[in-house]
Amino acid sequence: MDVAARAPTSSQSVHLDHVLKKFGMFVAVRDLSLDVEAGEFVTLLGPSGCGKTTTLRMIAGLMPQDGGEIRFGTRRVDLLPANERNVGLVFQNYALFPHMTVAENVGFGLRMRGWSRARQQAQVAQYLALVRLDELADRKPGQLSGGQQQRVAVARALAFDPDLVLLDEPLSNLDAKLREQVRLDLRAIQRQAGQTTIFVTHDQVEALVMSDRVVLMNQGDIEQIGPPQELYTRPATEFAARFIGANNLLPGRFLGASPAPTALVEGTELSFAAETRAASVDGAGQAVWICVRPEQIKVARPSRDPRQPNELPARVTDLIFQGTTLLLDAKVEGIGAIRAECPPAEVDHLNAGDEVVLRLGGGHLVPRESGAPSNTVE
Amino acid sequence: MANTSLSLDRQRSTVARSRFGIVPGRLVGRLVWAIYLAVLLAWLVFPIVLVIAASFQGNLEVSWSLDHWGLDAYRAIPRDYWRSFRFTVTVAALSTVCSLIISVPAAWGLVRGRLFERGLVSNLVLLPDIVPHLILGIALLTVFIPLHLSNSFLGVLLGLMAMNLAMGLRFSEALLAGMPEEYEQAARSLGAGRLTTFRLIVVPMIAPGVAIAALFLFMQNLIAFELLFFIAGPSARPIAILLFTDIVDRGVVPQAVAMSALLVYVGIAFYAAVAMLLGPKYLVGTVMSRKG
Repeated sequence: MDVAARAPTSSQSVHLDHVLKKFGMFVAVRDLSLDVEAGEFVTLLGPSGCGKTTTLRMIAGLMPQDGGEIRFGTRRVDLLPANERNVGLVFQNYALFPHMTVAENVGFGLRMRGWSRARQQAQVAQYLALVRLDELADRKPGQLSGGQQQRVAVARALAFDPDLVLLDEPLSNLDAKLREQVRLDLRAIQRQAGQTTIFVTHDQVEALVMSDRVVLMNQGDIEQIGPPQELYTRPATEFAARFIGANNLLPGRFLGASPAPTALVEGTELSFAAETRAASVDGAGQAVWICVRPEQIKVARPSRDPRQPNELPARVTDLIFQGTTLLLDAKVEGIGAIRAECPPAEVDHLNAGDEVVLRLGGGHLVPRESGAPSNTVE
Repeated sequence: MANTSLSLDRQRSTVARSRFGIVPGRLVGRLVWAIYLAVLLAWLVFPIVLVIAASFQGNLEVSWSLDHWGLDAYRAIPRDYWRSFRFTVTVAALSTVCSLIISVPAAWGLVRGRLFERGLVSNLVLLPDIVPHLILGIALLTVFIPLHLSNSFLGVLLGLMAMNLAMGLRFSEALLAGMPEEYEQAARSLGAGRLTTFRLIVVPMIAPGVAIAALFLFMQNLIAFELLFFIAGPSARPIAILLFTDIVDRGVVPQAVAMSALLVYVGIAFYAAVAMLLGPKYLVGTVMSRKG
């Protein structure tokens, strides 16, 4: 057997220290450092080519790194081959062995560890029950649906009590409805098993729904690490503000932090509550993006009273009904398109071409790095 | 006006359809296609049918009268034919097995190891097929004579293997290139070493493709002629060469035709065995049609 029989261990913390990966001249992962607590669910999120899968493969031992160190707990693993790292891995296409039954697939890791047949059977039964597939133990993977295959892959990755579990976009082959269900299932299974888990995805909703912490990556670098809510409400960079959720980015200048962060956009001074600027916004006069989520914008008829604080005059360009909410696209002179998300009842009297006032109920400042169009709402 | 002519057209086509079942143009097309396929199949099958029919009549001038049919030609097969037949089947099977045992792991190393030699080796193994087998046979003879390998079982085996290794390697390379690497990576992450992964994952997954490769290699070996023409001799004589020399010396004798028919039966039997083992879908479709 390739791995000595070992008693089950609890899950481990994971530490990446200045990890580097190059493909020729191209730097895929740049000096990446990351600590994942034992039992934590961390997601590597980013667009394709950002280095998230490369990082995952280096942790799994499927790809050697060009620099840095990887440790599970205190054990250095980056010089070990994949089969000695004790990592459970779930692939995008699940990679279930087609010639083996579900039970044989789940028990493969145990077999490699020299477990007795009786112990293997008991453990397999326990993990098939965890993923609610105990009825299908004798089926071949080809006889299962996509969602069932995915759960077998998860059970296989958990059954041998790995130090950590890595999930490489395991939901991308499922249809939208199933994906929503499996997301929650997966999270519940992970909590129950208490496994340290690193999840890779390019889908921000998956990342926000499932993770304890999200690591947002871009061009081989970490842009921001934090709990999902923090990434959503307080993006640290322009990239984070654009990547996570729909966001209106208004170009402006930072005026100062006292008493609350204020910014100037198109001659209008906006003032927001405390703690709504990225740490790197600190100099008065600094070019910033004022990020306003569509749901933070209230739409009102223009009134004769003098303008209230944080108001922008606009003209409605489009109304998109979505069921529980309605998306209202409007054009603000000198700024461009802005999208608001409102309860349909509040705006159903409006038509394209109407004059309105947009009340910004909140905003967050990030440093402006590019002169790209102000609006990234998709 | 345009509307009227359109609706007239529609009426006409409905009439044509109702009379012939399908549109006449399409009917002619299908007929041509059917004739084309029939001629093609007849061309492929004709020599085999002729040999089999001739073997039961003991004569190449096949007559359709039932009086001439019988097993006399088979009964007349002499002992040296049988000896040669056994020799051929044994050496063909052994060469097939040995070549695949060598070429499958080699292809795995080349494909998965991403060795820089891969391009070179992949092209080098094409050579035995580019050089005429007769020339290859002469070349092998010059090597084999000093090693006392000509006119021996081992010599014929090595000659066939030279041919089979190339084909086996190319076959295996294609099979492995078509198999996603994730299966092996999954096995590795579950704790399997390289050899265990090869044994428990790679081999079972490409087995259907390897069986088909074996089928092709064995068939090729059964009728190998040019390559073995110079290497063979009285104590190591494949049946194809024996038949050739006999026919040149004595004309198309009935037992030669019967023996040729036997070779066809062996081929069909082997093909049927592989088909039964794998199921028909592997023989008509892709060899990697299993999904995970």
